[in-house]
Amino acid sequence: MNVSKRHVTWFVLLVATAVSAVATGQDQAAAEAKQRELLAVLQSNAPKAEKAIPCKQLAIYGTDEAVPTLMGLLADEELASWARIALEAIPGPAADEALRDAMGTLQGRLLVGTINSIGVRRDARAVDGLIKKLNDADADVASAAAVALGHIGGDRAAAALAQALTRAPAAIRSAVAEGCILCAEGYMAQGKAAEAVKLYDAVRGADVPDQRHLEAIRGAILARGADGIGLLTEQLRSDDKDRVGIALRTARELPGRNVTEALVAEMDRLSPQKRSLLLLALSDRKDDAVRPAVLKAAQGGPNALRITAIGILIRLGDASCIPTLLQAATEGNADLGRAAQETLVRLPGKDVDADLAGRLPQATGKLRPVLIELATQREIQQSLPTIVSSMEDDDPAVRAAAVQAVGVLGRDRQHVAELTRLVQKTATSSERAAIEKALLAVTGRVGAPSVTYLMPLTKSNDRSLQIIGLRTLAVAGGPEALGAVNAAIAGDEGDVQDEAVRILSTWPNRWPDDADAGEALLRLTRSGGKMSHQVLALRGYLQHIRGNKGLSNDQKLARVKDVRPQIQRPEEERLAIAVLGEAPTAGALELLTTLAQDATVAEEAYSAIVTVAANAPGLSKPQRQQALQTVLDKSANNGTKRRAQEAIKRLQ
Amino acid sequence: MKSVTTKARTRLPNETIGPGRRQFLKTAMKAGALLALPQVIPGSALGKAGTVAPSERIILGAIGIGGRGRYVLGCFLQDPDLHCVAVCDVRGDNRQRAKAMVDDRYGNQDCATYIDLREILARRDIDAVLIATGPNWHATASVMAARAGKDVYCEKPCTKNIAQSLALADVFRRTGRVFQAGTQRRSLPNFAYAVELAHSGRLGQLQTLHAHPGGLGTSMSGWLPAEAAPPRDQADWDLYLGPAAWRPYNRRLLDGFNFEKGGGMTGGGCLEWGSHCVDLCQWANQADDTAPVEYEPINGQLHARYANGVKLVMRNDGWLPLGSCPVRFEGTTGWVETGDDAEFGASSPDLLTRRGAKIPGYPADFHVRDFVDCVRTRAQTRANADCACWAHIACHAANIALYLNRKVTFDPKTCEFIGDEQANRLRSEALREPWRI
Repeated sequence: MNVSKRHVTWFVLLVATAVSAVATGQDQAAAEAKQRELLAVLQSNAPKAEKAIPCKQLAIYGTDEAVPTLMGLLADEELASWARIALEAIPGPAADEALRDAMGTLQGRLLVGTINSIGVRRDARAVDGLIKKLNDADADVASAAAVALGHIGGDRAAAALAQALTRAPAAIRSAVAEGCILCAEGYMAQGKAAEAVKLYDAVRGADVPDQRHLEAIRGAILARGADGIGLLTEQLRSDDKDRVGIALRTARELPGRNVTEALVAEMDRLSPQKRSLLLLALSDRKDDAVRPAVLKAAQGGPNALRITAIGILIRLGDASCIPTLLQAATEGNADLGRAAQETLVRLPGKDVDADLAGRLPQATGKLRPVLIELATQREIQQSLPTIVSSMEDDDPAVRAAAVQAVGVLGRDRQHVAELTRLVQKTATSSERAAIEKALLAVTGRVGAPSVTYLMPLTKSNDRSLQIIGLRTLAVAGGPEALGAVNAAIAGDEGDVQDEAVRILSTWPNRWPDDADAGEALLRLTRSGGKMSHQVLALRGYLQHIRGNKGLSNDQKLARVKDVRPQIQRPEEERLAIAVLGEAPTAGALELLTTLAQDATVAEEAYSAIVTVAANAPGLSKPQRQQALQTVLDKSANNGTKRRAQEAIKRLQ
Repeated sequence: MKSVTTKARTRLPNETIGPGRRQFLKTAMKAGALLALPQVIPGSALGKAGTVAPSERIILGAIGIGGRGRYVLGCFLQDPDLHCVAVCDVRGDNRQRAKAMVDDRYGNQDCATYIDLREILARRDIDAVLIATGPNWHATASVMAARAGKDVYCEKPCTKNIAQSLALADVFRRTGRVFQAGTQRRSLPNFAYAVELAHSGRLGQLQTLHAHPGGLGTSMSGWLPAEAAPPRDQADWDLYLGPAAWRPYNRRLLDGFNFEKGGGMTGGGCLEWGSHCVDLCQWANQADDTAPVEYEPINGQLHARYANGVKLVMRNDGWLPLGSCPVRFEGTTGWVETGDDAEFGASSPDLLTRRGAKIPGYPADFHVRDFVDCVRTRAQTRANADCACWAHIACHAANIALYLNRKVTFDPKTCEFIGDEQANRLRSEALREPWRI
């Protein structure tokens, strides 16, 4: 950095510091003013209701200056807890001293609260006072003191608590044990494991509730480190489910490769159920040394244990586990097979994909469909050529898996060609249905280039193949596909014609490519051979208008008006209302007002009127108000009325 | 980049919110929906072999059984591996309705009722408790339950401030008890799938996470005019207040769901929804053991930044037609978004090919199952105390920035705001006597 740049940098820093100092000064002045304001309330004769929140706000703005006033509230049963919110938060010795002083004067619940606050603040100067309180006749006070001493920690607190562990009345011993454990944690944080072990062991040997024993056992194991393995395995072997439980938790926490190895060695000594639980605990240790034990458990033994191990391999396994998993997936046990397949799907790594793909060409029997299914779920594209060739396998299970796989993985026009060829060769309706499903999926990905391969289906003598062809062409889209559908409508084969009309009425709205679909639908609304065709076409036409982004709002209105004579039923009226509601114009408002006169669709029309009246360009304010007021007066729907009301407010 | 959405239509008001747990499991497994979810432990692997002897059942108590509590209790009651023996609520109407529900399930009149949670926690036969009291009690009751040797499923928001979040994690680590936060979206396949896309690198390097906590404004339950308190068996006001600072009875405060939500100066919507959607962002960023380091209110939103550079945007308004609790994860090569409708939006259809079963309506069944499994295995639940701790810390820190209306900088190692005494003072709040964390 050159000199001038350095000077600029220093200057910027100085300015920043100065600005910050001014800002800080301003902030401090504001905070002091706020404190004065809050203290004035607390020192006034204001009712308690007005003093509560200021206490709370002093947690932010309070300083030593606020302490005497807050201290005065500690004996007030209603405001003490509010005052302690501030006293716990205000830093510095004044608040500590206030709480210590209060400890000498208060009793009962108020004293307990004050002691709790001392514990939260970890006031080391309060230790003597708290030790005295361990002997308080009020068990709640003595218990609070024990826990506060635990939070503060240190040698004097620890010694007093250890002593109380044997001498204190039963009612407070649990809290004393808790204090000991907290002290022990304090020692651990300071690296004083030996002191921690003494306290943990003291609690283990004391007459305290079992939960305290469990906490002490956990602490004693962790504090001993690798030397705690013996204590850990002792718990694992216990018949007490709580001992086993704490061991399973601690087995996840105690670090070290030697710990892992010792726990693995322990596996053979345990019951199958405990082995499953320990295996799960081991798998959470994130230690590679666990994998061989898991793999071994996955290979043989009780099925329940194998299933657990196989599940664990999702997290711990790699490509080396594939043979074991494939064996489990194909050996004929349904639960085992499902678990193995689930793991094989989720096993991470490109090398897993490569391994599975490499096995497929040679695979036979039960293994082949399993590998195809895995390729499908893992989306292994490199397996696709083998899978395509398997679509004509002799084994129906292989064929089914392969067709499904091509449907998921295929994304090439060649796959459309293969599936088209296959569907023509297949006579079974269930297999045809599966192939059609795959063909629809692949065509959806390939799009218009599929049309060439699909067209032959529409010329088949087999009418079900014609229908499959029309359905898939609808997915492909484009003028040629539309032409084929129109030709089928013009044909004389009833079921094919019906299906073609249905397909046209739901034709995907790919503007501008398939704009002609609208014209075809319009023609059909007027010249359809059956009433059902005209109705389907009218519905399709209205939906086509609605979704056509190439039409202006005025053009949409014109088209709705054009087919208005054909709109006779509420179902189609609702569709027309939907179009108009999304194409706000003055003309749409007029037409909607007319449609609202039909009671069966009035509410839909009112809802649309609110949108149009609020948004259509070119309407005068009175026109909008009148339309909205009509809705307010006539609609029975509270939501619509609320929207109308809000729109009227916005107009004012 | 061409985007895609799976959303076909909006869920109708009367549509079912989702199948039962067993149907969910069946559907989810069949459709491979659990790709991103942790391992499912089969009952047989736990020595259950399909049925559980009465002596082996997990014994449950339920604390705080209002509307939400009864919904989650209903999920527990479906489980044949578990038996509920007692319910506890400071409100008599809630107690009676919950007892009727439990008795109806078992065809007897055996379900015990309690007003004071200390009595139900003192029962040695109870292994686990459901806590759905309302946010004021969640952390305190959870910690008391752990100290009493119970495993805990606790509704969210689980804590009222940063200090409680840390204490919750500490206590559950110390006691070795199992904890599940009621953030059930961690157990739903659409959210898990979106997270898996983020973890697997299919979105490229993660850059920005969007959460919709809703109601980012701060709020506080104050002191309303005194009214005559009802008899204790109708509503025990002292126990209802519990750890909250004292105020006289007023029936408008007797709404556990909103009373003292967030607790301190801050709280409200950020915790209500943030404990879900911020939690999901934490999960997506693999940040279950940390929280963002910077928080800044900008134009009604809260912008946060993690130490790894990933940005977290907490939005006040919804932006996705994907139902409540939407999240969006953006990487360098793609993005995905999902919400409670279980639909997706994505930068490419290829991202959604393995999305699995659609389970709309955020049911808690599977989350409850995860808890029950972990009670047996002693494994960590999906929403364990550690990840709940950090997700809540992220929300509390955001709330503090919103309350102070300025940027705050947070050090996750020390859990202190850097050079910011005002923010640091808001990390905790004293509890009313005699309660403690």
